[in-house]
Amino acid sequence: MADEKFSVKQYVKKTKLWKSIFRHDFMDTPRTRLQRVFGNVFLHLHPVRTSKDAIRVTYTWGLGGLSFFLFLILTVTGILLMFYYRPASILAYQDIKDLSFAVTLGQLLRNMHRWSAHLMVVVVILHMVRVFLTGAYKPPREYNWVVGVLLLVMTLFLSYTGYLLPWDQLALWAVTVGAQMAANSPLLGNEGPFRLPFITPFNDARFGLIGGTVINDATLIRFYVLHCIAVPFIFCVFVCVHLWRVRKDSFSKQTGEKVDVWPHLVSREFLGTLLTMVILFVWSMVMNAPLEGQANLNVTPNPSKAPWYFLGLQELLVYFDPWIAGVVLPTLIIIGLMAIPYVDINPKGVGYWPKMKWKRLGWLPVWVPEERPFAVTVFMLGVIMWFVLIFIGTYCRGPNWEWYMPGEPWSYRRLTKLTLKNIPNLWGSLILVSYFLFGSPIPKKVKEWLSTKMGSKAPALVSAALHIGLGMVMAVALFVPLLTAADADFPMRSRYTTLFEALGRSINSPVVSWMYHLVQQFGPAVGYAIIIPMVGLIGLCLGGVGIVFAKFKDRLYEALGPIKYAMVIALLLMMTGVLGKIVLRLLFGVKYLISLPVFNFNI
Amino acid sequence: MGGWLLSNLRYLFPNVLYEPTLSFKAGKPEDYPLGISEKWKKTQRVWIVRKADGFYCFWARCTHLGCTPNWFDAENRFKCPCHGSNFNKDGDVIAGPAPKPLWRCAIKRADDGQLLIDKARLENRPGQREQGDFFLTFKSA
Repeated sequence: MADEKFSVKQYVKKTKLWKSIFRHDFMDTPRTRLQRVFGNVFLHLHPVRTSKDAIRVTYTWGLGGLSFFLFLILTVTGILLMFYYRPASILAYQDIKDLSFAVTLGQLLRNMHRWSAHLMVVVVILHMVRVFLTGAYKPPREYNWVVGVLLLVMTLFLSYTGYLLPWDQLALWAVTVGAQMAANSPLLGNEGPFRLPFITPFNDARFGLIGGTVINDATLIRFYVLHCIAVPFIFCVFVCVHLWRVRKDSFSKQTGEKVDVWPHLVSREFLGTLLTMVILFVWSMVMNAPLEGQANLNVTPNPSKAPWYFLGLQELLVYFDPWIAGVVLPTLIIIGLMAIPYVDINPKGVGYWPKMKWKRLGWLPVWVPEERPFAVTVFMLGVIMWFVLIFIGTYCRGPNWEWYMPGEPWSYRRLTKLTLKNIPNLWGSLILVSYFLFGSPIPKKVKEWLSTKMGSKAPALVSAALHIGLGMVMAVALFVPLLTAADADFPMRSRYTTLFEALGRSINSPVVSWMYHLVQQFGPAVGYAIIIPMVGLIGLCLGGVGIVFAKFKDRLYEALGPIKYAMVIALLLMMTGVLGKIVLRLLFGVKYLISLPVFNFNI
Repeated sequence: MGGWLLSNLRYLFPNVLYEPTLSFKAGKPEDYPLGISEKWKKTQRVWIVRKADGFYCFWARCTHLGCTPNWFDAENRFKCPCHGSNFNKDGDVIAGPAPKPLWRCAIKRADDGQLLIDKARLENRPGQREQGDFFLTFKSA
């Protein structure tokens, strides 16, 4: 009795209260390690043991967990911000000002909320790229990839609904543009192509989104409810499904010995969240969340730029009609992403990062992963294109959304007389049709039939003729109207009678003006003598690219079958088509290939 | 179930709107010089244009995605700050992504002689927009 000293710790541990909460002791034994995980409602999301390689930081970079953690930070900071914020147009902006200047630590909380939202978008995108590159979406995890895509969409939608709430200029004009995109949706939008007969500005998609015909209090309360309750609620449901499926489908990497999740994984998660927290704190202390002037329904800031994650979309809207850039393309991107696990039938590449290698594709040297060259290349091309658009929107666009080189000083007085013209519909349709025909494969059966009928070289010749033909048709269908067609706007608003003259004298179609000056300087004979072979060369190059990919296309067709192949190739062609349209706009000053204003239908 | 969802969807479309009125009086026509007047842009979002033979009025709302363009006198164009659409003095699209010309508002003389602008009635089709309610003949003395 004498050597047993009284210990508070031991005493507390024996009380009924302690025992009712903690069911196990905290000695580091294999038994308690397991108990900690499955005896804890929060930690039991984890398995109790997992393979060592699956939790290697350089495999996952902890991106999924960090996305979830950022969502938690956003929830907490968001709840705190709600204590001071009233969603009414005459109060909202003042409340944000108060939060910034009159509420102790209000600015810090607002900064943290804003910057963690930005960080969450980054981390969610990186998480998706990681999951793609390590093949973690492949069976049996296809469905969870789809849920993940929905979570990405919701992350962006939460950001979008969130930035109306300060009721500043950025908020108002971003929502104006977003709502107007809804008005441009096909069938259901008042200004969209082929709108249904009963659709008016008073019952279309835009009206439903903003609760009226102009943005005012009805819109603010709508976005407030969406941002604070509705979308987070749905988000939570999908996060539950996402995490549950991660457990049910197990991790994509199963190599290495099994280790206890406590402490091996839990400690990594703890360090990751700690690091994120530190980064966020420092970021929020050195940089304030932007707040522009109070919303003014009549005056738009010049230039008016969306937050960076929507600048890609904003830049896309420059090149396409709103119903394409704002509705069809985003929908296709989402559907395309969701379809990936279902059209990718290559079972290789699960559980490790791609191993890159130099290879040859025809005469082209390419740097591709050994096992999934096509999938990885296409996906990364899409991601890079998206970020290139964001880069252009961020650094290359100045007042009036005109092109400025990065670092070039902006001038509101710069004279920039841009001119855009439409390609006549028939020529434009020809370009579009022959472009999409590039995707057509030559099935095996056709090849066999050809070689029996016309000798063994026939299939290769037919393929070459097809691709060169299509390339030539595209080049001709582009240049012939540019060189010869009449300017449809003459004399209404154009001083020039032909497209060639109008675009040749403009400052924003370098290729056409180069040709125009050639003809002016050296006379038509010499000028066209240079231009015509150039057009042929462009046609040959386009055809050549087709030939390079011809064999690959045919193999892909045999492997995927007609339906999956059509999906893959259509999505791929649309993706590169976006690039094509951007080139047409920036180098040729072409606005539309097909324009049917009666139906609000322009491509 | 389906009916309930549909009724909830209908619930989200309000029947009564509390929105600002769309017509206003814009002062005496004699007070406007020839050219584009930006007088009402910040409060009523319109430009009033006086030509030698009369008046018309643009709704200052880009037909692309609804931003307010700015008038650049030196270039004789309206330019939109959001996606770079350019319009000329008639409201026709010269460059940028806008799909159709600027809308013109109905314009007439009120009983007291002031200009009366109605932003609820819009027209942008060439031919229609230069006549009827959308153009006010006014010859200076």
